[in-house]
Amino acid sequence: MALLEVRDLVVRFRTHDGTVYAVNGVSLDVEQGETLGLVGESGCGKSVTNLAVMRLLPRPAGRVEGGQVCFEGIDLAAVPESQMRELRGRDIAMIFQDPMTSLNPVLTIEEQMVETIRAHREVGRAEARDRAVELLRTVGIPRPETRLKSFPHQFSGGMRQRVMIAMALALQPKLLIADEPTTALDVTIQAQVLELLQRLTSERGTAVILITHDLGVVAGMTRRVYVMYAGFVVETATTAELFAHPRHPYTVGLLHSIPRLDASEGEPLIPIEGTPPDLRRAPAGCPFAPRCAWRLPACWKQNPTLEPLEPGTILERTGPRATHRIACWNPPSGEEAAAGRPLREGFVPASPPETATGGAASGGLVAEDLVVFEPESEFLTALLGAHGLPDPPEEGRGR
Amino acid sequence: MTDATPAGVSAAPGPASAAPASDAPLLEVSDLQMYFPITQGIIFERHVGDVRAVDGVSLSIRRGETLGLVGESGCGKSTAGRSIVRLYRPTGGRIVFDGTDITRSEGSALRRIRRRMQMIFQDPYSSLNPRMTAAGIVGEPLDIHAIGTRNERRERVRELFEIVGLDPDYGERYPHEFSGGQRQRIGVARALALNPDLIVADEPISALDVSIQAQIINLLERLQGKFGLTYLFIAHDLSVVRHISDRIAVMYLGRIVEVAAARELHDAPLHPYSVALLSAVPIPDPAVEVGRHRVILGGDVPSPAAPPPGCHFHTRCWLRERLGNPEECETVSPLLTQYRPGHLTACHFSDRVEGTPEASARAPSADPKRKLEVS
Repeated sequence: MALLEVRDLVVRFRTHDGTVYAVNGVSLDVEQGETLGLVGESGCGKSVTNLAVMRLLPRPAGRVEGGQVCFEGIDLAAVPESQMRELRGRDIAMIFQDPMTSLNPVLTIEEQMVETIRAHREVGRAEARDRAVELLRTVGIPRPETRLKSFPHQFSGGMRQRVMIAMALALQPKLLIADEPTTALDVTIQAQVLELLQRLTSERGTAVILITHDLGVVAGMTRRVYVMYAGFVVETATTAELFAHPRHPYTVGLLHSIPRLDASEGEPLIPIEGTPPDLRRAPAGCPFAPRCAWRLPACWKQNPTLEPLEPGTILERTGPRATHRIACWNPPSGEEAAAGRPLREGFVPASPPETATGGAASGGLVAEDLVVFEPESEFLTALLGAHGLPDPPEEGRGR
Repeated sequence: MTDATPAGVSAAPGPASAAPASDAPLLEVSDLQMYFPITQGIIFERHVGDVRAVDGVSLSIRRGETLGLVGESGCGKSTAGRSIVRLYRPTGGRIVFDGTDITRSEGSALRRIRRRMQMIFQDPYSSLNPRMTAAGIVGEPLDIHAIGTRNERRERVRELFEIVGLDPDYGERYPHEFSGGQRQRIGVARALALNPDLIVADEPISALDVSIQAQIINLLERLQGKFGLTYLFIAHDLSVVRHISDRIAVMYLGRIVEVAAARELHDAPLHPYSVALLSAVPIPDPAVEVGRHRVILGGDVPSPAAPPPGCHFHTRCWLRERLGNPEECETVSPLLTQYRPGHLTACHFSDRVEGTPEASARAPSADPKRKLEVS
């Protein structure tokens, strides 16, 4: 039995300007002690998936409309809120991107850490305080006894993230969800924090879901990866396999569009044309089709499901032999994946069906179509990313 | 009002001359300082100190070249860029653009120079006026400098839209109606409007989604080839800087610590900070990541309001520790000096940094002999 099992999760947000299709049937599994990556761009649903797991979706807009989340075999949807509150922090902990907003600015670190510990463990104040000192020492904060009296703003960004890690690991959770934990940090500080995270979680056998847009971080930190696009998992494999043999056009595109520090001179970048899709449109066809260089006519009509790369393989969902699965009608060959573009003689990406009106790829999106999020849905904008907005002129124009 | 041309570059052509020698630098910055005062008190503001954002930066950029300026947040790279295009009035030092000293230029002289140096900003959301149409934004520099007739300007704006890959028919739209990548294209079109020689691009892609970044990088590269542009490319992401730059300058706490050709900096860095920075950049390839050795720097960047004495990096330097904490690092500020042709570094002990970051990273603990020989 996997530690965490997510099956066909569907999350939607009802807003006054329509439904946002944030997560559209995501399944994922986490084994005890496994470190896995959830990678994708802003608005791909990676954060929303995890908020849904923790039952922390903003209400009443965000709703789980389908699927199941099981933690240690228990269906989390059926658990009462009081029990869920116990589970958060004790069994599943979370670290967010910005430690300043996840720490209370008017309480000292001591008050916050002692509160967290005492909320879950029956220990006295002094004992909780000793535990807090020990935790701060573990995460490499100098002079922890004095630093406990500090307020969050008196720490640097990297130190704050260390405090967050200390608090998240205070109760020795079985699963840690780290949502872009180092995105706000400088690269030398990122190296410190990632090293710390890796050391502590592997020492304690904590399973980690690392949510990030940075393929470099995924490559160094995780054993298994799910690549998400527009609320779908489009490819999953072990990290080694995914980077060595990417097979979904989106993964291939991502790997070719980021410059590598160790690249040989003059290697051109191959951008993914167009922009991420507007999640306020009900998904029809493959979500990546408008930007895909390998698309077939079928891609416009039918969304491929996540299937093993080799048909007939016995499906391994977790572990070091996890099956490589993709959701694609026309996967690039190994050669094409290496080149970053289709190599077939005379192949032209299928044009959108004539009947499509207002589709992202028709190039016919009109300005009136674009509604800006109202201030009240700021949280939504943050979740979906500002780039969740549709993109009028570019597609279909070419350069 | 342009300062008298200094002796060192007296032979260099003025801004009016059409074709200066191609090997004369387009931009020469020496010992640039930009301090921001810290004051205390409400009525009688006392000057109690300075934030030394830029503390003695020297660099030069040749015509048609891309110089990458890389460093972590707060190192002063953006302030340096803004001082160079004279959005600030530098505290000290000299900026010579195409033979003209512009350090203290004001008014119309400054405006004349600004036509030739433009800026692209990081955030395409806040750098475009939300109340102006895209065409208005792109055409504004033409209006300010009163270039051409109204019709000519309109044509030029349409042309600029085409150049950066936007549909000219969308000129009447407002910034919020465009996606992030398209907004950055508008920013690029605005920077191109006056046919500048130099473009200072300050983190032009870091606010964009990963899949969009390459579009803008490729656009900038294409434009450089087409118009012979010179770039000062400021960014924190060393992978991106290495990709786009001919040469790279690494900045730490207000100073440049190393300058080298992009490839050389990657293959054979000479400053311990560059080594750490290079080793910290994650590489999207698990096969490579497995075998990498990171130099993990301790602590945080000190405050630029109270930079450490001597070498600014000495408080976090792994090399200094390895060498048994020589006193020099704390007392003497190392000068940026040429170590190999075209490769400058500001470190007293650069000869002790060897080979690739991986090799150096292994060395501190694995090479006891070296430690002995110094202490």
